[in-house]
Amino acid sequence: MSGKATYKTFKGGIHPPYNKELASGKAIQAAPLPREVFIPLQQHIGAPNEPLVGPGDRVELGQKIGSNEAFVSAPVHSPVAGTVKEIADVAGFTEAKVKCVVITPDAEQPGFAKQNRDVTALSDEDIRSIAREAGLVGMGGAAFPTHVKLTPPKDKPVDTVIINACECEPFLTCDHRVMLERPHDLVQGLKLLVRAVNAKKGVIGIEANKMDAVDAVRDAAKGEGGIEVEILEVKYPEGAEKMLIYALTGRKVPPGKLPSEVGCLVQNVGTAVALFEAAAWGKPLYERVLTVTGPGIKEPGNLLARIGTPISVLIEACGGFVGSPGKVIMGGPMTGWAQPDTKAPIVKGTSGIVVLTPETVDVGTEEECVRCGKCVDVCPMFLMPNFIVQSVKKGQWDRAEMWGALDCFECGCCSFTCPAYIPHVDYVRRAKTEIAALKRR
Amino acid sequence: MMIVAEKMLVTVSPHLHKKDETIERAMKDVLIALTPAAVWALVVFGFNVVYILAVSCITAALSEVIMRKLLKRKATLRDYSAMVTAVLFAFLLPPTTPLWVVAIGAFLAVGIGKELFGGLGKNPFNPAIFGRLLLWFSPLAVYTTKFVEPFFWKTSGFFTPIATSINEGAVGRVVYKTMAGNPVDIATAATPLSLLKSGKWLPDMVAGPTPVGATWVTSGGKPSFWSLFLGAKSGCIGEVCILALIIGGAYLLWRGTIDWRIPAGIIGTLFLLTLVTWYHPVYNLFSGGLFLGAFFMATDWVTSPVSKRGKWIFAVGIGATVFILRFWSLRPEGVALAIFFWNIGTLVIDRYIAVPRFGEVGNKVFNQLPALPEPAPEPAKKRA
Repeated sequence: MSGKATYKTFKGGIHPPYNKELASGKAIQAAPLPREVFIPLQQHIGAPNEPLVGPGDRVELGQKIGSNEAFVSAPVHSPVAGTVKEIADVAGFTEAKVKCVVITPDAEQPGFAKQNRDVTALSDEDIRSIAREAGLVGMGGAAFPTHVKLTPPKDKPVDTVIINACECEPFLTCDHRVMLERPHDLVQGLKLLVRAVNAKKGVIGIEANKMDAVDAVRDAAKGEGGIEVEILEVKYPEGAEKMLIYALTGRKVPPGKLPSEVGCLVQNVGTAVALFEAAAWGKPLYERVLTVTGPGIKEPGNLLARIGTPISVLIEACGGFVGSPGKVIMGGPMTGWAQPDTKAPIVKGTSGIVVLTPETVDVGTEEECVRCGKCVDVCPMFLMPNFIVQSVKKGQWDRAEMWGALDCFECGCCSFTCPAYIPHVDYVRRAKTEIAALKRR
Repeated sequence: MMIVAEKMLVTVSPHLHKKDETIERAMKDVLIALTPAAVWALVVFGFNVVYILAVSCITAALSEVIMRKLLKRKATLRDYSAMVTAVLFAFLLPPTTPLWVVAIGAFLAVGIGKELFGGLGKNPFNPAIFGRLLLWFSPLAVYTTKFVEPFFWKTSGFFTPIATSINEGAVGRVVYKTMAGNPVDIATAATPLSLLKSGKWLPDMVAGPTPVGATWVTSGGKPSFWSLFLGAKSGCIGEVCILALIIGGAYLLWRGTIDWRIPAGIIGTLFLLTLVTWYHPVYNLFSGGLFLGAFFMATDWVTSPVSKRGKWIFAVGIGATVFILRFWSLRPEGVALAIFFWNIGTLVIDRYIAVPRFGEVGNKVFNQLPALPEPAPEPAKKRA
């Protein structure tokens, strides 16, 4: 691991403190069964699901409990065998309340009955419908339905499938552990993805701080044609879709366009493994690996947890808080959501729970912009975050758009590096909402 | 936006912040970076420099506190920006500036140049330069344009504070009054640039007569490279030692507080232009306030463009303007004025010079500004 070696990367970005060592050495362990699971009916971007079960119904492990006919949606499945208690509005991980199926698990839980299917015979159409039926969504955080991504426009063929194995978010190590412990399943999942879009090759991009994962995956990919493993510079946000495509292929996705525009498809490590599980074992996405870590957690670790498990159960499983928590973040510390309490259930897109102690929470007061230009320097999309903020403050939405508000993917580099502690992302979200409202008129 | 429930803080992402990246830290960095130049000023110009710095800092702090009270803004003295302005302002003054003039200037810089325009972040001009130029174009200019020879404290005494100048004295000399009321007779000295401007002496080309008052030059009427570079010359307090300024500038670059494009653009442009016109390139580089301006004034966050492109335009513009002012204007020096002009230019650069986004095709040069939005149809807010 020579620091001088130059690896592929993008322009801009930041070097936050990574703190990966807290959990990167901890093997994945099964999380305890909660007393109740809360399955949000919408865990993806797209149309919300309708419940297929009602209070008092019995559900089996992996049973579909919510679905929607709309193309852009993904069904949800029961992570336990048990009884439906109610369909209720529960506070989710964002501020908004979400409709959940609340299930009381049986005391004795069956293991999942794996099927042993031959995945080599599957056609692209088969793979897409498997992905949809299994409720697959992007597990890196955005939770976009996978089968939609696997259906690129006819006139824009995909030649390269990229596995986003950067895990550029500080603290998180779940993808790292999955690569170490299940490299073969990852490679098989990637092969299915390649086949689903009839691509020429699959590339797994791993940041240089996970060289053991590089070795493991390279080993697993030995002898597999059309699978490459690339090492990327350790920089945030290396794993942002557009940045990753640029780093690996040199192609630039134009503003407002999707990766298929440049013949690429990006999927997360967890998603690829989940696709393999769905195709080979018939297992829907009802559990996932996530990292529970941070200076505020006694025994940080990586857990295989059922979707719908409240965060408190997972924190408990990792030894509980160190002292009193300063901030509990669902997701990574750069893009995750701070939680007012520990009741929210985890969803398919939850890659981690990061707990900061009051001492490690860096709360500054927002000052007047001093125009240092640091936000402009670090913005990987080459936007003008300072002027977006200025325009939002004045309510000049068209100017906010001119300065790039709609192209912002909210990585947070600007706020991270801002000496005036301006929460740019907050302003950008406001701009996006207002601009969208204006355009609807 | 901030909800604190059960002591757990809820804010928007990101939840991490770069360590030590604060306004306060940056301002402290600038103060640290200015220290070598200040120490050298103490050596060449004596303890009067300390009196000037002290008066400037105290006045600046008081101006900020009082102005912000009057304008009902929250106190920001702890961000150290007033101190930076105060030190930079003092650095732009001749070492024998009377202390009451320093006080007026420091008030103009911080009280008017910064606070009246809206405080740190909203001031369109570099406050130190604003204060300096107001003095320059005021009747007080007589007190701030007289330069004495280096090491003049050998005549007046190291710790003697200069109260005011009383008269011209004999040719090439000026009589100052100390705080104690005693007159001191000190030799004046042309700054390297005024020597160049007056044509009384042409460096390296003609071995002319020793210019009047330039007793500090090393031999044969030539200010040596080393006297220019190390600062054994007359000039403003902070500008004389190029080496000290380079050390300070390097520290700021290393700390990431300033962008290298601005000093590189300014110094490079002036060097190229003087090289092409053969207007004493090296001499020009190491004379006057070029390094002080390039590393510490033009790099001011608030008054320089935010984009890299903009920074290049700004820096090259300053370099070219300094050349024009030094070459054609009646005054020998023009760094402060050039930066002042381009502080105004910054407003235009930031607004109209486009920065192509990631993946944007074509090389857009100018922004198409959308028209200002029509007043919202919702009940319009009444302006108080």
